[in-house]
Amino acid sequence: MKTNKTKTDYDVMVVGAGVAGMETASSLGNMGYKVLLVDKKPSIGGRAILLSKVFPTLDCASCIVTPKMAASAHHPNIDVKIYTEVDGITRNADGSFSVDLHQKSAYVDIDACTGCGTCEEVCTVTVPDEYNYNLVTRRVAHIPFPQAVPKKAVIDRRGEAPCIHTCPASVKASGYISLVRAGRYKEAFNLHLENAPLVGCLARSCYAPCEEDCTRCGKEETVHIRGIKRFFSDHYYDEHPEPEYGPVENQLATKVAIVGSGPAGLSAAFYLARKGHQVTIFEAEIQPGGMLRTGIPAYRLPNEVVDRDIKNVTALGVQIKCNTRVESAAKLKEEGFDAVFVATGASDENRLGVEGEELEGVMGCMKFLRETKIGIAPNIRGKTVMVVGGGNSAMDPARSAIRMGAQRVIICYRRSQDEMPAHDWEIQGAIEEGVELMLLTTPKRFIGNNGKLEGVECLKMKLGEPDASGRRRPVIVEGSETVIPIDLAILAIGLKPSTTGFVDEMDHERGLLTSDPETLQTRDPAIFAGGDCVTNPTMIVNAIGQGRRAAFYIDRHLKGESLDVEFESLLEKTDKDVVLEESKNFRSRPPVLQPTMPLEERRRTFECYERVMSEEEARKEAHRCMNCGECSQCMECVNNCPAFCIDFNLRDAAKSFTVGSVVMSTGFEILDPGSKKALNYANFPDVVDGAQMDRLLAPTRPYNSVLRPSDGKEPENIAFVLCNGSRDHTICNPLCCRIGCMYAVKQAQLAMGALPLADVTIYYIDVRAFGKGYDEFYEQSKAMGVAFTKGKVARIEKLDNGNMEVYYEDMEGVGGMKKAEHDLVVLTVGFLPNTDAFRLYKGGELAGNEFNYVREIDPISEPGRTSVDGLFAAGAIIGARDIPDTVLHAGAAASQVSAYLETTRN
Amino acid sequence: MNTAPTAPRSMLELAQDEMIMKDRIAAVLREKHRTIPEIAEILGYPTNEITVWLFGMRRYGEVEEVGRPDVDGYFKYEWKDKKAEEAAAEEN
Repeated sequence: MKTNKTKTDYDVMVVGAGVAGMETASSLGNMGYKVLLVDKKPSIGGRAILLSKVFPTLDCASCIVTPKMAASAHHPNIDVKIYTEVDGITRNADGSFSVDLHQKSAYVDIDACTGCGTCEEVCTVTVPDEYNYNLVTRRVAHIPFPQAVPKKAVIDRRGEAPCIHTCPASVKASGYISLVRAGRYKEAFNLHLENAPLVGCLARSCYAPCEEDCTRCGKEETVHIRGIKRFFSDHYYDEHPEPEYGPVENQLATKVAIVGSGPAGLSAAFYLARKGHQVTIFEAEIQPGGMLRTGIPAYRLPNEVVDRDIKNVTALGVQIKCNTRVESAAKLKEEGFDAVFVATGASDENRLGVEGEELEGVMGCMKFLRETKIGIAPNIRGKTVMVVGGGNSAMDPARSAIRMGAQRVIICYRRSQDEMPAHDWEIQGAIEEGVELMLLTTPKRFIGNNGKLEGVECLKMKLGEPDASGRRRPVIVEGSETVIPIDLAILAIGLKPSTTGFVDEMDHERGLLTSDPETLQTRDPAIFAGGDCVTNPTMIVNAIGQGRRAAFYIDRHLKGESLDVEFESLLEKTDKDVVLEESKNFRSRPPVLQPTMPLEERRRTFECYERVMSEEEARKEAHRCMNCGECSQCMECVNNCPAFCIDFNLRDAAKSFTVGSVVMSTGFEILDPGSKKALNYANFPDVVDGAQMDRLLAPTRPYNSVLRPSDGKEPENIAFVLCNGSRDHTICNPLCCRIGCMYAVKQAQLAMGALPLADVTIYYIDVRAFGKGYDEFYEQSKAMGVAFTKGKVARIEKLDNGNMEVYYEDMEGVGGMKKAEHDLVVLTVGFLPNTDAFRLYKGGELAGNEFNYVREIDPISEPGRTSVDGLFAAGAIIGARDIPDTVLHAGAAASQVSAYLETTRN
Repeated sequence: MNTAPTAPRSMLELAQDEMIMKDRIAAVLREKHRTIPEIAEILGYPTNEITVWLFGMRRYGEVEEVGRPDVDGYFKYEWKDKKAEEAAAEEN
């Protein structure tokens, strides 16, 4: 090991681990320098490892490159950091460099991963395979290619899908959608259980904030996420009337009491019981479920579904004590519970505070819904019902009253329809079923006779200035009193927390219990509070999220672990514009309409009016998902990995180092042949580029043989067209690519070997065979029967028989335009400079040449030296070159680095 | 007679279809061994799209080629029942 006098972390950092980078790093490592080799890809090897064979020797590319990869990866003086981006490089006054890197997370424990590929097989999201130049697909969980070093799995994630990000319980909607698309319904159900145990209830009555944030809304309309959930939850429950599991094996002695068996309490119980705690739920009602059982009409949520969902919880050994009202958490502690979770919900009703509210025939909406659900509601057949309020809680009793045979149902709301807090689809549903909206109207008093309601005196309102909520304030129109005969008035003007008793012993504010918003822990460390009694009434899914959160922190509290940890960490929400842009030319995928009961039938029954999708419909609807986050988080990789090495909580890590010198070896870019429109590369699958042809010819090819991409036929007549986008002023690339002629000759020879009966023609301007053995290689191909036609190809068209017609200018014979038919056309394409180095060096200007490659100051006597002292360039970053020249240049650059390091240190 | 060029669907769009299409292709191959044009005709999709999906399946061992190509240069492919094979392997 060389003496490092300047106290750097590494003697040199090499950026880019292709042929040049590996050669430079190995040379320097062999000299005794400590090298940091960085590559942004998940494997080293660059482009060369993806080649079939190399010219002119026709050695197997893997045989040439993999020993170099292994030597670099296992060299004692080389630290390899793959999947790592360089953020910036600056030069210090002492000649060393400061470098900032960030290691991208592959969401895999690299040390534990064995590269078995199981994650890839079970992954449910498919994307184009860039390692096969988009000839085939790969999975989002993947091992880059068979010879990858290191051979480790990577999971592509570009952010949190909006549906997951917006869900209060972080239910992995994109994950279960992906599973349904793949036909794995049981897995979809089990995935849902990981975030919310009340699958059936949510499938029927969740307000689905995920659908409002669905990226598909930017194209057609939302994916019907709840409809898909309804499909797989019904499918699962049909097949599994009872849960498939029992109490967990590892039972703990710790006892937890939960007050309230609504969604928050049940959810907390489920996750605590999964951890092995002994959980007892106390419920004041005669049956468990809270609001789910008594506050949601059966046409949305039948009790059988509530019962089946509750079985998910009780199967774990959770005890539910009904008809047991609890009003003191402290008392439960005294009874021996180690922790208490207060989740009493918010079912107490607000009152209007007007005359006559106590009359028989005036009741709260929760009371009405509860009595309706248990069959003791007043008979309102043929009667007139008024529901006061404009929120979702007004829609349920109004629509229930229609089903109970009321002759007339009026919703009385003091603002206009635009200001109604209820969802539009709820309002529309109510109107369709016959509910009347009486807008800009408020009750002044309830009029009765003998203590019984007979009518409501109403006032007209008008809209004034906006209030604190931003909605225009309703103002009474004086003298507008009207009396409307009403048999039953239902007040749906809001709910308040049910916290009687608890407010005497716990902190509270305006009737709400107060707990830490992150941990839900109260002043008493063993007492936690969450759900609607803390947040005010919200959605079911919000309460479920609170329950799971409470379980997480109660479990930590009971195990004596710190609560100063994050409950769950989500990535940033995916940028929808990026997703929409990449899919802008995709075909439209109209939504599958959720089947519903005919209107007339709906008005007469409390049966669910939303019908469940068929399997075909559900998969079709799931197919509309746009894979916003790339990985859908279906968790199949996590569940099936034999090494348990996949961890979605891993994150990118920033790192900074001081290095003695830097070598940029970031290689080159390949020109997109689509820029030459007349060649129709983008339009005809059988017009491929050189890189794709190399994959078709490689032993690890994407197909079972050399086949044409349009239909899998073995080609019989292949054309290679040279100089597409190189030596081409029309696209401002006048440079020769220096390898096109030889790799076309190589591919022609390989094609003839693989397809002995195939005709092969190379269209060229002039063949440049300048390297050692190149001319012999060229002559050999002619001797094998490769036809060489001197002619510039102008355009390629497709014939009705599926073959290509190549139009070219005859430069050899009589001249003029000629054409020839082929069934596969290969375009050898030009190189473009990789300009990353200019962006990465932030310490001043790194000089480039007139073609935008990094400029060598003195290529003859100091190869690899750039305009920045101590920063060197190796390989194709300074100009296109073949592999032998790249290796030579990398060795020369390594010598220059050594000289620099010795100079700066002595 | 030349045909006017129309851009095929992008690979990303085809990739998104794969999870749906592979079951349909599997169903067609369960009946008998077939070439890509034959599968395409039955399912009503372009041959280049079937090629993408079929080789996505082959990558994970769900289909396999049978013998040599026919006189027109097309291989026939068969569906591999991976679950049955795995179960048989476990039994052995």
